[in-house]
Amino acid sequence: MILIKCPYCGERDQSEFSNGGEAHVIRPKNPESLSDKDWGEYVFYRNNPKGIFYERWVHSHGCKKWFNAVRNTSTDQILRVYKVNEKRPDLSDFKNTLKSPSGEPLVGSGNFAVKK
Amino acid sequence: MSAINNNCEYISKRLIKITFDGKTYEAYEGDTIASALLRNNIRLVGRSFKYHRPRGIYTCGIEEPNALVQIISEHNEPNTRATIKRVYDGMEITSQNRWPSLRYDFGAINNILSPIFSAGFYYKTFMGPKGFWKNLYEPLIRRSAGLGKPPKNFRSKSTHQYHNTDVVIIGAGLSGLAAAKKFINTKYKVLFIEQDSYLGGVLKNSNKVKTINGLTPQEWISETEELILNSKNITILKNTLVTTYNFTNHLIALEDKFAGKKIDLNKSELTLHKIRTSNTIIANGHIERFISFRNNDLPGVMLASSFEKYIHRYGVVPEKEPVIFTNNSSSLSLLKKLISLGCKPKAYVDSRKKDNIETEIKKILKDKEIPFFSDAEIEGCDGNKKVETITIRQGKSFNKLKSSMLCVSGGYNPDIHLFTQSKGLVKWDKNILSFKPDTPFQKTITLGSTSGNYNFKKLCDEINEKLSIFKTKKVSLDINLNVPNKFSIKELWETKKKNNSNWSKSFIDLHNDVTTKDLKQAITEGFDRIEHLKRYTTNSMGTDQGKISSINSLAIVSKMLKKEISEVGTTTYRPPYAPLSFAAIAGRSTYEFYDPERKTSIHSWHLKNNAVFEDVGQWKRPWYFKASENETMHQAVQRESKMLRENAGILDGSTLGKIEIKGRDALEFMNLMYTNAFSKMKPMTSRYAMMLGEDGMIKDDGIICKISDQHFIATTTSSGAPKVLADMEEYLQTEWPHLQVYLNSITEQFSTFNISGPKTREIMMKVFPDIDFSNDAFPFMTFKNFDYKETKIRIMRASFTGELGYEIYIPPKFGLELWEEIFSCGKEFNLIPYGTETMHLLRAEKGYIVIGQETDGTVTPIDLNYNWMIGKNKKDFIGKRSLSRPDTSREDRKQLVGLSPINKKDIIEEGQHIVELNELPKKISNPIKYLGHVSSGYHSPNLNHSIGLAMIRGGKNLLGQKFFVTATGKTKNIPVEIVNPVFIDPENKRLTS
Ligand SMILES: [Zn+2]
Repeated sequence: MILIKCPYCGERDQSEFSNGGEAHVIRPKNPESLSDKDWGEYVFYRNNPKGIFYERWVHSHGCKKWFNAVRNTSTDQILRVYKVNEKRPDLSDFKNTLKSPSGEPLVGSGNFAVKK
Repeated sequence: MSAINNNCEYISKRLIKITFDGKTYEAYEGDTIASALLRNNIRLVGRSFKYHRPRGIYTCGIEEPNALVQIISEHNEPNTRATIKRVYDGMEITSQNRWPSLRYDFGAINNILSPIFSAGFYYKTFMGPKGFWKNLYEPLIRRSAGLGKPPKNFRSKSTHQYHNTDVVIIGAGLSGLAAAKKFINTKYKVLFIEQDSYLGGVLKNSNKVKTINGLTPQEWISETEELILNSKNITILKNTLVTTYNFTNHLIALEDKFAGKKIDLNKSELTLHKIRTSNTIIANGHIERFISFRNNDLPGVMLASSFEKYIHRYGVVPEKEPVIFTNNSSSLSLLKKLISLGCKPKAYVDSRKKDNIETEIKKILKDKEIPFFSDAEIEGCDGNKKVETITIRQGKSFNKLKSSMLCVSGGYNPDIHLFTQSKGLVKWDKNILSFKPDTPFQKTITLGSTSGNYNFKKLCDEINEKLSIFKTKKVSLDINLNVPNKFSIKELWETKKKNNSNWSKSFIDLHNDVTTKDLKQAITEGFDRIEHLKRYTTNSMGTDQGKISSINSLAIVSKMLKKEISEVGTTTYRPPYAPLSFAAIAGRSTYEFYDPERKTSIHSWHLKNNAVFEDVGQWKRPWYFKASENETMHQAVQRESKMLRENAGILDGSTLGKIEIKGRDALEFMNLMYTNAFSKMKPMTSRYAMMLGEDGMIKDDGIICKISDQHFIATTTSSGAPKVLADMEEYLQTEWPHLQVYLNSITEQFSTFNISGPKTREIMMKVFPDIDFSNDAFPFMTFKNFDYKETKIRIMRASFTGELGYEIYIPPKFGLELWEEIFSCGKEFNLIPYGTETMHLLRAEKGYIVIGQETDGTVTPIDLNYNWMIGKNKKDFIGKRSLSRPDTSREDRKQLVGLSPINKKDIIEEGQHIVELNELPKKISNPIKYLGHVSSGYHSPNLNHSIGLAMIRGGKNLLGQKFFVTATGKTKNIPVEIVNPVFIDPENKRLTS
């Protein structure tokens, strides 16, 4: 159970929030002008990286506000929270973040609890 | 051959009575079940999981793999660790996994059959034929394998407690106490957690430490505890076990509020502490491990430090003349304690070379003339349900000794469970032959033996150094020892077997009955990855998580694979550290508190009028009303449906979701959210509308009332209301923040009644004599507001039955009164109450769909022939673009049709398949072509035959064609005709009458 800092309310328990998937996927202004492929990309395709991920959260059992967060998906650390109208932080801000609890590879999982 | 009592300050001398397997025994207050049984010379306490082998008490703590018992006097609580659970007067205990009795257990035949129960036997043996698993294998395995019986039904009074703190110290042994001492009267808020009911750890469990700062260990503990208790910033939690170490320093700990006491049914028996801390200090010590040898599971084999703990902590010496078998220096303290009590071990077997064995040990053994075997090992032991003879191997010679107990020490493992749960990295340490914490992932500090420091003299420096990040004073520890300070150990995991018989086994996991032979076999079969091997053999997968044996198995496997142990790695340590009761997790969220029930303002009337309820989300809705005691559901629904189309009926629709949409841009917002076009709609009119997902699939439906371009009220399905509101909110906040719109859930602000049927107008005129209900004044799909008594009401002309109908909205406070008024007015018109099942039947007759019944997340409005609902001229709405995707514009999509049986007596069942065959083959060898499914099936009392709604491939073009519908338990299918889904009043004459 991680702690999440709602930009409006402060730090609260994870159970008060719901995850809304990848952030910064903007609904096209003129859907009719899009090709089937481009529209399909918008509706169905999302990134799922291991590592730094920009995602949306909503404080569903609190102020009900949506906001964005930068989370390291391999460590579950929330590195930054920001309001929806705020600028997306640059990826280079997070280059010194721990890659994973045990330094495991970028793809795949497994047990790497033992330091070699 | 028997136990003796030792003076012990932790045990009161008050005698109490307990029963074990029906027999009454005397115990002391303060005993655990295990110490009480040992005091009474009971060695056999259970049967093992797979082979039903006799098992005894192996340890003296949470790591116990064998001694699991059932507490009859506590709702039958199963799988209780006898080594932890404290007794009270009148406690009733039984052993587990035996039939008919512990001494004569029928399942022990599994041990003789053991060749078929080896590694992976579940996977290999129970493969087929089809149906055998469900009907034969599973029931058989469930009966013969396994542990206790499930507990009885009871109402838990467990509670949850939340903490926010600066520091948590886990474990109140020597290191924990010294660490806590540093925080006395500082600004840090500290939670100090101890699993036992006494502080002290190793200091009270052994005599390894002689003095601390000139005080006896007990004096030092008392002094320190006193100081901590007087310090306002530190809270001590005793009888509390930290089970879980989550991300962001979130700990879960379980407190037993009734340790050693009979549970009071009116009080909370367990408290689950949920702790958020800035720093965690783990000082929960070490766990002794065993050594594998032939029959190392016989009752009478016990870990050496546990034997020692029974003497010090519980005042019971389980056996005066045990054999001691060790590979390290730590067993000296047990030897010395036994001598001081006037006991004399039968033999001292040390696997280390004579030169490497401490001089003090050799001197004592020589002085007391105790048989001493150095560079030797236990080959195995034998006996009937207990240890009787012990075979010692020294070089090529064997010695057989008679003794009833064998104390074993295979070394110590730092207790790294919590540290690895926190995602810290561990490292192999050659000096202690175990893994120890290396790199923490969170703000975690390990101290003392948990950190792999077995050196008492270095403890003080370690604590001062590691805790220097806190603003605290230095502590000083001047420790005098009874044992050598330097820990010495020789690698030994399994001894060589001489005898080989079917009964003789060398166990690596006592809890799950895994032998060292199973490990070898699994590797031979190719399971050379430790995580695979674990699952294939079930090694260390028991509820003890292999606390005394998992490192041994890693070592044995690494030897077989000829790899370094750090290369083999560990399996994952998972929470909880030790099993915890579901009652603790559930807390107060049980029975009616588990999920709240939502009731409408008319609920009491429904109860009085024999409503049978249906759960819709959290709502209780009348399903149907019983007219008489013997009326079946079918009869009730047929009666209600017929009566409504003849006269009138009323439904409590208060559960329907209602959302108010207000603001400058409300019209634009509604045009974007729903398929329909709202721009040209006149104020005070309403419209049936649909909401799609961005993929074009129907999400919800409802009636939209337009009060003005700036004010709408949307109704939703009863269970979909929260989701629709959340989706609207999401789009407003994230995609269209420029729109000025405000949303409000008003579901519970109104009681809603749907009254419909041909006589509705007459009833309404009688209830509301001042309102003009004529078609001209009040046409279909319009609504009006009225003053009614001291409140305001809204009436809308709408219908879900296909009959003339009105919906009445009134504040719930006045709801019941109006409902009763309508009934008294409606009596002369034979007005009936009806439930959701009749509503579903009537709407199916009319061809109206229900979200979640005709739709399943793969249905578009076009599939339902609802093209008229789509605002084609609107530039955009959610899901619009997807309606012209190649997939959604396919001709052969499943589309809504009606089904009418050709033989009018046949019954069309919901959920059945639609096929081309009139009869199913007896044996199905090829897939049968599937055309679609029946989404709704009812017997229509108004048509007097069965009808169905169905989703069929390319259904729109199949009108008038004949197909077949499968039927439960029959191979003969029902011939049906594809018809228009509107069975009643396709011209809408009734609706608009
Ligand atoms: Zn918030």
